[in-house]
Amino acid sequence: MDFLFLAELFVNGLSTGLMYSLVALGITLIYKASGVPNLAQGAMVMLSGYLVWAVVSLLSWPLWLAIALAVVGMFLFGLATERWLLRRMVGQPVIMIVMLTLGLDIFLRGFVPGLLGAAPKRLDLGIGLAPIIVADVFVNRAYLVGAIGAMVLIAAAMLFFRTRLGTKLRAVSDDHVASWAVGISVERAIGISWGIAGVAAVGAGTVWGSVQGVDWTLSALLFPAIAVVILGGIDSLLGVFVGGLVVGVLGSVIPGYLDPIVGGGTRDVVTSVLIVLTILFRPYGMFGREDIERV
Amino acid sequence: MKTMFKKGMLGALFATAAFAAAPALQAQETVKFGLFHDFTKVYTFVADEFSQGQRDYLTLINEEGGIKGQKFEAIVRDHGNEPQRGLELYNRAREEGAIYFMFLSTPVANAVVPRALQDKVVLGTPLHGRGDTMVGETFPYVFPMMASYWSQAARLLKYVEDTQGGLKGKKIAHVHIDTPFGREPLPILEKLAQQKSFELRSFAYPSPGNEQSAVWSDVRRYRPDFVLIWGAGNSQMVSVREAVRNGIDPAKILSVVWLTETDMKNIGESTAIGAKRVEVVQPGRDHPIIQRILDKVYKAGKGAGPEARVGNTYYNYGVADMVIATEGAKLALEKLGPPLTGEKLKAGMEMIRNLDTKGFMPPVTITPQDHQGGGQARVSQWDGKAWVPVSDWAAAYQDVVWEEARASAAKFSQGK
Amino acid sequence: MFYRLSGVHHTRYEDTRRLWPIPTDRRLVAVLFLLALSAPLWLSELYLQNYLLPWLIWSAATLSLTLLMGVAGQLHFGYAAVMAIGAYSAIHLVRLGVPFELAFIGAGLVAAVIGCLFGAAALRVKGLYLVMATLAMQYLVDWVIVNVPAISGGAHATLQAPEARVLFFSFADGFTRYYFAFFWAVFMTVFLLNTKRTSFGRALVAIRDKDYAASVIGVSPFKYKLLAFFTSSFFGGMSGAVLAFCFYRAVTPEQFGFNVSTQLVAMVLVGGLGSVIGAYLGAAFVLLTPMILSNGIAALSDAGWLSVSANLLAHLPLMIYGALIIGFLLAEPLGLAKIYDNMRNYFLVWPFKHSRR
Repeated sequence: MDFLFLAELFVNGLSTGLMYSLVALGITLIYKASGVPNLAQGAMVMLSGYLVWAVVSLLSWPLWLAIALAVVGMFLFGLATERWLLRRMVGQPVIMIVMLTLGLDIFLRGFVPGLLGAAPKRLDLGIGLAPIIVADVFVNRAYLVGAIGAMVLIAAAMLFFRTRLGTKLRAVSDDHVASWAVGISVERAIGISWGIAGVAAVGAGTVWGSVQGVDWTLSALLFPAIAVVILGGIDSLLGVFVGGLVVGVLGSVIPGYLDPIVGGGTRDVVTSVLIVLTILFRPYGMFGREDIERV
Repeated sequence: MKTMFKKGMLGALFATAAFAAAPALQAQETVKFGLFHDFTKVYTFVADEFSQGQRDYLTLINEEGGIKGQKFEAIVRDHGNEPQRGLELYNRAREEGAIYFMFLSTPVANAVVPRALQDKVVLGTPLHGRGDTMVGETFPYVFPMMASYWSQAARLLKYVEDTQGGLKGKKIAHVHIDTPFGREPLPILEKLAQQKSFELRSFAYPSPGNEQSAVWSDVRRYRPDFVLIWGAGNSQMVSVREAVRNGIDPAKILSVVWLTETDMKNIGESTAIGAKRVEVVQPGRDHPIIQRILDKVYKAGKGAGPEARVGNTYYNYGVADMVIATEGAKLALEKLGPPLTGEKLKAGMEMIRNLDTKGFMPPVTITPQDHQGGGQARVSQWDGKAWVPVSDWAAAYQDVVWEEARASAAKFSQGK
Repeated sequence: MFYRLSGVHHTRYEDTRRLWPIPTDRRLVAVLFLLALSAPLWLSELYLQNYLLPWLIWSAATLSLTLLMGVAGQLHFGYAAVMAIGAYSAIHLVRLGVPFELAFIGAGLVAAVIGCLFGAAALRVKGLYLVMATLAMQYLVDWVIVNVPAISGGAHATLQAPEARVLFFSFADGFTRYYFAFFWAVFMTVFLLNTKRTSFGRALVAIRDKDYAASVIGVSPFKYKLLAFFTSSFFGGMSGAVLAFCFYRAVTPEQFGFNVSTQLVAMVLVGGLGSVIGAYLGAAFVLLTPMILSNGIAALSDAGWLSVSANLLAHLPLMIYGALIIGFLLAEPLGLAKIYDNMRNYFLVWPFKHSRR
């Protein structure tokens, strides 16, 4: 057994996993506040990637400004989505709201590449390709940056939930009606959660856009992100962090040894089995809150 | 209460549909080509450029007075990589009188193959579709026209053999996307590995291939002499980057046709100098055909897209596809006379002998047996600015390729 | 007016329990049935084979998914995988020499058995988590199909549907394909309409509304959830076989990918959860809208009324399609069937709106 190989798979798995967390963060934020699983998060990541690329390449403005603009833009996009789409669906069956987010996903996948071009685009963050070599373990610089970004954003989200506004959001996620009763604007809280999810999407869109190029495939990141939230618990920020690590490491280490035996890419199999097992043995994920049903 | 008033929708629906695409009943003055693409889903990386090349070349032919007075018309639509939409487009265009079809999407083309055989219209499958359609006896109306994936893989290995003094004892890694497309060359590679006694190992990364780090850690430890990368679009870009990151010399990278200057610019122009790919058409603007297009189509403002794309690899592939198809049409018109039908076009295509394009692509010979057109290709290398050929046009190990194709085609005819 | 109620007197219990107590509905159904039956006579080959035929097959598949999602309330985002199992089983069975009629049922059985494994997750979780579990299983099925050449059919992963006959009619004939699909859709429609009125159907509804409450009144959630998955997968697999033999005439893994699963879910949801007519409307919307939009926009552009870049032109249908889904759901969150129902309710008492039936 090659220990260094294992170590390398492990380290790269950790960082990829955290990059998936970055995509998953938005889903968790929205679910926490409103109980809606946002299937358009992948498309929002794609939109942010395109926004950053457009500002950098079409307007040739500096990268930091592009990211700042995208953050503002995506926050407003999140607010607008909540205000004009989601709010009108309050009280409808959840599955219909899921369908609505799916419709939004389809719309964005047509709208954004249609407007800005479907061919893959380059988004250069200025991160070198040369790996960081620690005792023959090659660590991917871009992934490392992504992983750090993910940790910063998750930590920021955790801290945010300790501020006054964050406390309101927590109250809303606990109980909509009770929050109304004590004078918290539930709508605004949910709107803000969508806004923050948009901001998280900028992080994911920028990092993933630099790794794989900016085009519609960014929206396909939804699936690994779903694995992360299911494993970690869909309403837990800590779950996003740990779930990302577990999905990343298992999805890197197991295929590393299994692929040569099976002769096929087994990562999606590992992820799928992980989802199924989690759901069978611990339906609410590692850190998710168990809903108590009353008849 | 739940009445099924399903067909009640029909009236309204088909009124809309009829409005939407009233097939204009015109006299058969123009030859119609159905050139369908997946502009929106999986093949977005190639569809725009390829389609632009096709349309521009047909415009050029028309500007130059057509062939024997016949003008060409392209019907261009998006099928979104969905077979049912492709079939609808196919049948609609067939009603409009189209005789040549191309879908540039493997699932759609595969769904159309049996129908094209039945309806006797020509289906072009350059660089996509089933590899065994090169067997003309089994697939009389299907024309891959350019080197299939099998021939491409063989060509790349031949290049290694020629430049390295033999394949014996070499370690070749086949890093591919885990889809039927990525697995397609494996039978050829395995057979050649036995014949030429080199070591082959395949590495699959899951689709869509935006994250391949685990696979490449393994590839690096395998210490291959050469790496074949078999993906498309983003996954190729990620593959090249991961290879470079893992300290694999770019000169050892051998790619399927799907690696273009756009990808190399996205990777970083100077990142992977020396990377090689197989190509079936010469890229760039430095050729009379492309110059004619620039001159007669773009100067007149009739281009089908941005002029900057003219001369890109996939653009030229689109042009080449139309060069061959219109050559077939020309021969058919000369020998069999108008009006052109699917059967005549097929016969015309099979009359193409050593089509000389002055180096734009290898000489193409299509016979009733060989629909691949000879299977020639060459290897080119990225020099930081453009792709420079490092070998001549040549076909490689066609005996192995044909053996596999015949076996597969035999299965197809049994399945029917 | 159209749905006139006056003069309709039910004097026997059988009358009130009919499927369509209102004469207008009955007439409408009869007219539509006859129209569809005679479609090959008045519809061109293009519309018959590329619009009506896939619509009927997809509607049948949607109906079997409706049984699961609408009636039994179990969400399923991996239904294309179930259909794939049916399609592949049918083709392999026919290749082995089994007569089509038996292979057809065999396809349903194989799909049902594997479909029950999907159902195992439903015993443990529901709602969103069930969505994710079924989604994961879709990936597993896809992977097995792609990675086992014996199933997918070798290097090209394409299997031609073998020559087969159903009751002496060959599938090589377009009429056979259409009528087989048509009668399959009719069968599914009648089946679903009647299932809702059986004790089985009512048990499923009880499970949907609240499984704990159902178990209190003696409906075993364990048994009925599995039964729902079994029945739905059985018919889903058969619909997959119909799709393979009547429409595609060949199977590839891409025909049953994850995106097809979401399309099927969209058909059920946009049409209206649990509604038979909704299944038809939803299938029409999801399946035919992209084609019609794409052709329409291309026609507009060819006529020179729409001058935008080729890239935007290609993406416009996708945009409009997405916007339409959003628009319909915002206008009527319960789907297209509800929109039809609203119209019907309006005409039921028109012009005496104040009387409210």
